[in-house]
Amino acid sequence: MTLRLADFVVKEPMVIGHECAGIIEEIGSEVKNLVPGDRVALEPGIGCWRCDRCKEGRYNICPDMKFFATPPVHGSLARQVVHPADLCFKLPDNISLEEGAMCEPLSVAVHACRRANIGPETNVLVMGAGPIGLVTLLAARAFGAPRIVIVDVDDYRLSVANNLGADGVVKVSTNMQDIPEEVERICEVMGAVGVHVTFDCAGFNKTMSTALSATRAGGKVCLVGLGHNEMTVPLTPAAAREVDIIGIFRYKNTWPLCIELLRSGKIDVKPLITHRFGFSQEEVEEAFETSARGGDAIKVMFNL
Amino acid sequence: MKAVGICGSDVHFLKTLRLADFVVKEPMVIGHECAGIIEEIGSEVKNLVPGDRVALEPGIGCWRCDRCKEGRYNICPDMKFFATPPVHGSLARQVVHPADLCFKLPDNISLEEGAMCEPLSVAVHACRRANIGPETNVLVMGAGPIGLVTLLAARAFGAPRIVIVDVDDYRLSVANNLGADGVVKVSTNMQDIPEEVERICEVMGAVGVHVTFDCAGFNKTMSTALSATRAGGKVCLVGLGHNEMTVPLTPAAAREVDIIGIFRYKNTWPLCIELLRSGKIDVKPLITHRFGFSQEEVEEAFETSARGGDAIKVMFNL
Repeated sequence: MTLRLADFVVKEPMVIGHECAGIIEEIGSEVKNLVPGDRVALEPGIGCWRCDRCKEGRYNICPDMKFFATPPVHGSLARQVVHPADLCFKLPDNISLEEGAMCEPLSVAVHACRRANIGPETNVLVMGAGPIGLVTLLAARAFGAPRIVIVDVDDYRLSVANNLGADGVVKVSTNMQDIPEEVERICEVMGAVGVHVTFDCAGFNKTMSTALSATRAGGKVCLVGLGHNEMTVPLTPAAAREVDIIGIFRYKNTWPLCIELLRSGKIDVKPLITHRFGFSQEEVEEAFETSARGGDAIKVMFNL
Repeated sequence: MKAVGICGSDVHFLKTLRLADFVVKEPMVIGHECAGIIEEIGSEVKNLVPGDRVALEPGIGCWRCDRCKEGRYNICPDMKFFATPPVHGSLARQVVHPADLCFKLPDNISLEEGAMCEPLSVAVHACRRANIGPETNVLVMGAGPIGLVTLLAARAFGAPRIVIVDVDDYRLSVANNLGADGVVKVSTNMQDIPEEVERICEVMGAVGVHVTFDCAGFNKTMSTALSATRAGGKVCLVGLGHNEMTVPLTPAAAREVDIIGIFRYKNTWPLCIELLRSGKIDVKPLITHRFGFSQEEVEEAFETSARGGDAIKVMFNL
């Protein structure tokens, strides 16, 4: 309801939505990789393909990125969209269109796991068991993380995390003063080797401060959740232990891997889809209210 | 021991008797930037003989933990470091030190320059962690002793364009003389950040800042660094100013500007000595004040160092 996100301001009516999948109706004359009837997941962002960032392969931080539902670009919660063929990825028969849409949040997690170099020796801590924290749990496991602990304030979300295979869950508060005690509990649950990488999927002072304290010397904290602009955090003690802070913005070159992880069953995102709605005026309003409520509403999905 | 430089941390210990979690509980010898002459060697020592002129790397790792075994001994939790309580420092006539942490100085490098290897090592370690090279434009926050060695090291690593900022005109003029491509005078006012970022980017030029070294470590300098660095770049937090910092973390993360922590150094003495020997780096202009090792001179030396301003590196000659 804020009509803005960081520097992007909605100045005119804008179609919303960017996590999407659908069926090809029509293709351009040069398109070779798709035919009408193909079931595809869409990667939302169109880079300029001319700037240094794009040419280096870091198109996710292209300054001229055109991204669904980031003003002034319309989103994809619509019956039809026009999109470049190279950003439409065919879904295997055993992957539903809903799972195709889930490739978008899953991509954030996959990009984060790559930037953080998650592998068979990196113990992972996830701050927040919301939709992004949960896909991060799934992705970290797929990347081979041996031990994953996840924290949240909400019991239901922690139970979902448990069912999704977390090695440990820790209930935390929103009180800054509880940080030392929570860091102790987290490290106890993680075990002696400690936390190599923490993903802050919430992005608040409390979660970042906890992350910086809980991560071992030489480790990394990835800031995935974009909570607040200015943050007050204990930066210096972290820097004095060479705990680096890695920024995560969207994703690049993740759809093929996401689709393969879903196809092979290494990742199952279906439990995250908790609520479904059709595309009528009433249902759209109810869907957004449900999503905004959080709690037991993890991923709300439209079926058009 | 022949040459010992004063570090900001030494001054800090003197004033506050603590630094972060390290607390001075009993009288402690201070100082860790040092070089001297070998007087005696242990029976197994093969790389040194009495009379050798050496620079000392202060920190002794445990050599047993995972960090040491990975080569990241600078963050060994059991590190024994000169002048970090409870370990005595090196501002003394004699110290005992492991031979593998004593590095022979070539004939054309003075003992004072040997002592300068320590602050220079911080800069070299930072340049390595930040991957400084011929394509990385560098911004340095602060033209104090650490900012200035960082300027020198970044140039030696091939940085094509280096801009340095400070509040002090004299320090900016020193930076200019040391070869900065641009200097920008800044304030201590948070509200001036947007205007300063604009000026910095103008002086740096269209390509922008790839890596910023915050050698001061304050809210203002970190916030400026995060705004001034281009998308996909890095900010290295070198200066350990304040524990809690209020900075615009999220906009930086949303441009994938990473924050790299720098703590001391590892495996830097050989490179520092070579950079000095070959003349790629000249640290002599940074030594602005010299004192002998008498009671009065020691007190005056610390007062001089604490004053900052035109006092960049204060050196003891023992």
